[in-house]
Amino acid sequence: MAKRGLLYRMNKQKSLILMAVPFVIYVIVFNYWPLAGWLSAFQNYKPAKGMFDQIWVGFDQFKFLFSDEQFLEVLRNTFFMSIINLALGFVFSIAFALFLNEVFQLGAKRVIQTVSYLPHFLSWIIVCGIVADVLSSDGGIINDILLGAGLIDSPLNFFAEEKYFWWIVGFANVWKETGWGSIIYLAAITAISPDLYEAASIDGASRLKKMWHITLPGIRSTIIILLIINVGNVLNAGFEVQYILGNSLVTHVSQTIDIFVLKYGISANNYSLGIAAGMFKSVVSIVLIVIANQAAKAAGEEKLF
Amino acid sequence: MKNIVKKTAFVLSAAITMSLIAGCSGNGGGVKTDASGTKTFTAFIANTGTEIPASNRMYNKIAEKTGVKVEVTYLTGQSVGERIGVMIAGGQYPDFLDGTDAQGSLVEAGAFIPLDMYIDDYPNIKKLYNDAEWDRIRNADGHIYYIPQYGDTQGKSMQTQQDGEAFWIQKQVLAWDGYSQPHTLNEYFDLIERFIAENPTGPDGQRYIGFSILCDDWRYFCLENVPQFLAGYPNDGCAIVDPETRQVLDYNTIPEAKIYYDKLNEEYNKGLIDPETFTLSYDQYLAKIASGRVLGMVDQHWQFQSAEESLVQQGHREMTYVPLGIVAEAGTTDKYFTPRTLNPATGLGITTSCKDVPGALKFLNDILEPEIETLRFWGEEGVDYLVDESTGLNYRTQDMRDAQTAADWATNNKCEYVWFPHYEGMLSDLKNAVLPSEQPSEFIASLSEFEKDFLAKYGYGMWTDFLTPVEKNTAWFPLYSQIQDWTADTTWGLASIKMDEVKHEWLPKVVMASRNKFDKTWDDYMETYGAKVDSKAYTDRLTEIVDELVSG
Repeated sequence: MAKRGLLYRMNKQKSLILMAVPFVIYVIVFNYWPLAGWLSAFQNYKPAKGMFDQIWVGFDQFKFLFSDEQFLEVLRNTFFMSIINLALGFVFSIAFALFLNEVFQLGAKRVIQTVSYLPHFLSWIIVCGIVADVLSSDGGIINDILLGAGLIDSPLNFFAEEKYFWWIVGFANVWKETGWGSIIYLAAITAISPDLYEAASIDGASRLKKMWHITLPGIRSTIIILLIINVGNVLNAGFEVQYILGNSLVTHVSQTIDIFVLKYGISANNYSLGIAAGMFKSVVSIVLIVIANQAAKAAGEEKLF
Repeated sequence: MKNIVKKTAFVLSAAITMSLIAGCSGNGGGVKTDASGTKTFTAFIANTGTEIPASNRMYNKIAEKTGVKVEVTYLTGQSVGERIGVMIAGGQYPDFLDGTDAQGSLVEAGAFIPLDMYIDDYPNIKKLYNDAEWDRIRNADGHIYYIPQYGDTQGKSMQTQQDGEAFWIQKQVLAWDGYSQPHTLNEYFDLIERFIAENPTGPDGQRYIGFSILCDDWRYFCLENVPQFLAGYPNDGCAIVDPETRQVLDYNTIPEAKIYYDKLNEEYNKGLIDPETFTLSYDQYLAKIASGRVLGMVDQHWQFQSAEESLVQQGHREMTYVPLGIVAEAGTTDKYFTPRTLNPATGLGITTSCKDVPGALKFLNDILEPEIETLRFWGEEGVDYLVDESTGLNYRTQDMRDAQTAADWATNNKCEYVWFPHYEGMLSDLKNAVLPSEQPSEFIASLSEFEKDFLAKYGYGMWTDFLTPVEKNTAWFPLYSQIQDWTADTTWGLASIKMDEVKHEWLPKVVMASRNKFDKTWDDYMETYGAKVDSKAYTDRLTEIVDELVSG
């Protein structure tokens, strides 16, 4: 009965299924088929030999990974930089959307909004060039301002000290992504019924009160959904920024998992180790996203799946 | 109506599916050939270089003569290991490939086709090296996988400028000091200190930087390998070898190492060294040199040559550099200027992805023909140079020289295929220099009045006269070419990797430490070095290699 039902339904939706076929194939070919390569995490993979002519080493690569102090360091860096990016990104995007929403002069609003998107379209290589120039100890504007204000006696060497690095990355992200990140919140805000604001006005709520009690709760579900998606990305702290801005003086805090994979997997020809690290990252991401989703469900909020 | 929708959906999905499948099957066989029958090959060189446009005059001229064009691309942004690693992982290569520092992993991955069975059929290639040299190039498995392009001097060396490593100093600094010639570490830094004390800023008001150290990724050799030179050894690059006893020493722990980093620490704390030097990328480093602000540095000439050319174009000849053979103590002979030598560790190979191996080999053979050789380096007779009837020597008129110094002239008119096999020193006519810049008459004509006067003050004929020439290279020189295929699964290979890690992290720390903490930091560095690096396994293996090379 059930079987006939399925076939019957499939027959009814033939054209829909046909239309979906290319995309299913696309996902299988480009997203799932490459996962077969994960097998080499359990080998001592050497290129130029077939997948099944390799030496199988079981979990050796993983054992090495978790006893390698460098990998643990890289894991820490990735995690903290990600948390900083996530927190700063959320706070700045939401605050920006809230304030921009309060701008009633339509022309000004549009200009500000457009200008704020622009950095998103610059590549990291350009943004990092700007960051490096701004923070340079040899005539960078930040050092000039600090010197001029008498706050420091000699220029700060921002890129030479480990304590600054995570924050430089965090604020570079803020500069680049705040405007873009706020789009979705602005869209959500427009869906809030104007009646609520009117009612609040009649009750004598100030603008700040309205932002706090109407706008913010109004976009709560959007915030939660984005949070769930982003939690899954916690081990994706980025690659380009750290790769371009990092240098040998801050390597202990600048390397992320992606750089580690590149360095060991590709440069040092230890493909298996690189794949093991990448695999670990994917598995952790899946676990995190499931946890975040369940947590949202438990709290009675919107969920992703 | 409904039927039409269904049919359309089916056709569309089928078409997309087919295109997906087609996309995976790779691009068909054969080499790209255009209407006139010119074949186009691809090449990748894992080093920096300038790509030339398809409209380049000599590129097309050579294509006319040989029937072949090679699109050469170079390394940008990534490190050699990363770029080559990606290629190996993908298994797709350009037709011609030089992996430079990562050549070993390419050979191991089977990227190159063996050339030894072909070489005898191509006389110009065969002639490039003698049998002993071909044997040195031969891999351990008995095959020849690539052809080294550099270090093959024909006739005699015509070098006018050091292309390897040296302590460099701006000409104006020496001129200011009454044309002195520092020879020790202390004299060198003392001169820069005195100059900067009196001239803190340049003509456009920018502050001079006394000394700059490039520390970007693998290019940190500018910081790391200096002790070997200070101790009076040539650039073996990985260790020093006593020429008499053939004992191999790790130069990271010799007294000259401490002397050098102590000096750098002193100068760093005096503010003579660029405070952000260790955080600069290669491009930023070059930009500072091209601005004329950097008075001195240790580097290999090819690495900052583009920045120096930019200084010439800006008309700042006095800010270009001369090499100095600085040593730790007076009385030591400097060994910076070694004869150009064959480096058997790398070269241009033909990859397994090449669909027309005979065509590729024929091209390599053709470009070694005297006619093409001259086109590559001198250009077209009558347009780029003239020949003196009586002496047979090539020369250029002043108009030609002026035209050729224009900023984009080389990009549009020159095609040296310099990473392809070629001779150095003299052309096959054994009269003219391979490089116009090394032709004596052209070299003199290229100098500004300031430079002619500058050389005359020293009584020197060319820039290399500032260094002491090494007469003959040792059998193991350059030793670093022997360690490039070491891997982490040997004790010596692991030592080499650890050595790099420790030095890369600690040397900047040692230099940047406050003055009174230098000794403590140095001791900490040495302690870490001793704990992490198996220096003995490293030098023992190198000793074996040196012995093998000497007994031949």
